[in-house]
Amino acid sequence: MDESPRPPSPSRQSQSPPPPPPQSHTGSPTDFLKGVVGKRVVVRLTSGVDYRGVLSCLDGFMNIALEQTEEHVNGVITNRYGDTFVRGNNVLYISAAEPL
Amino acid sequence: MDPSVTGIQEPFDLIRLSLSERVFVKLRGDRELTGILHAYDGHMNLIMSDVEETIMIVDPDNIANGQNVVNVAKRKMDMLFVRGDGVILVSPPSRT
Repeated sequence: MDESPRPPSPSRQSQSPPPPPPQSHTGSPTDFLKGVVGKRVVVRLTSGVDYRGVLSCLDGFMNIALEQTEEHVNGVITNRYGDTFVRGNNVLYISAAEPL
Repeated sequence: MDPSVTGIQEPFDLIRLSLSERVFVKLRGDRELTGILHAYDGHMNLIMSDVEETIMIVDPDNIANGQNVVNVAKRKMDMLFVRGDGVILVSPPSRT
């Protein structure tokens, strides 16, 4: 059955070493998002407005709750909020603003 | 899921905790609302009362010294339904 004789391999190239352990900054987008919860982030909206703050949580629509939020327009702070809810459809990206 | 110090586990918790409170809402079209939040749903449709709407109107014919002149119009409404797709941001009153 499964003990069919194998031809001797011409070389040992087929025995590649195991892949190195994954580094902390690799992983799926979901892994990234899990990693940045509780960290400082920059959330850019499609309008170009940035919100900088501590990411409280987010959901599958990419609705976002931020703490200590600063609104930046063209690099200038235009508003500060204690907490904010950002509706997910407006989100362009979420960027980590501190080392993970 | 690691609830942070505020104890909210999903973004809608922030809205739920703001029911019956005065909230700030940023809308598409350079509009802002402040009013008392009575109800919301998963689309972020909102029912608000005692609302003041602020409309920022940038006049393209009136750009002085490279700075846009922004006219602000305000109006008040007793009771308002906000369609969720216009909502950009909701900020509850700062809880300290």
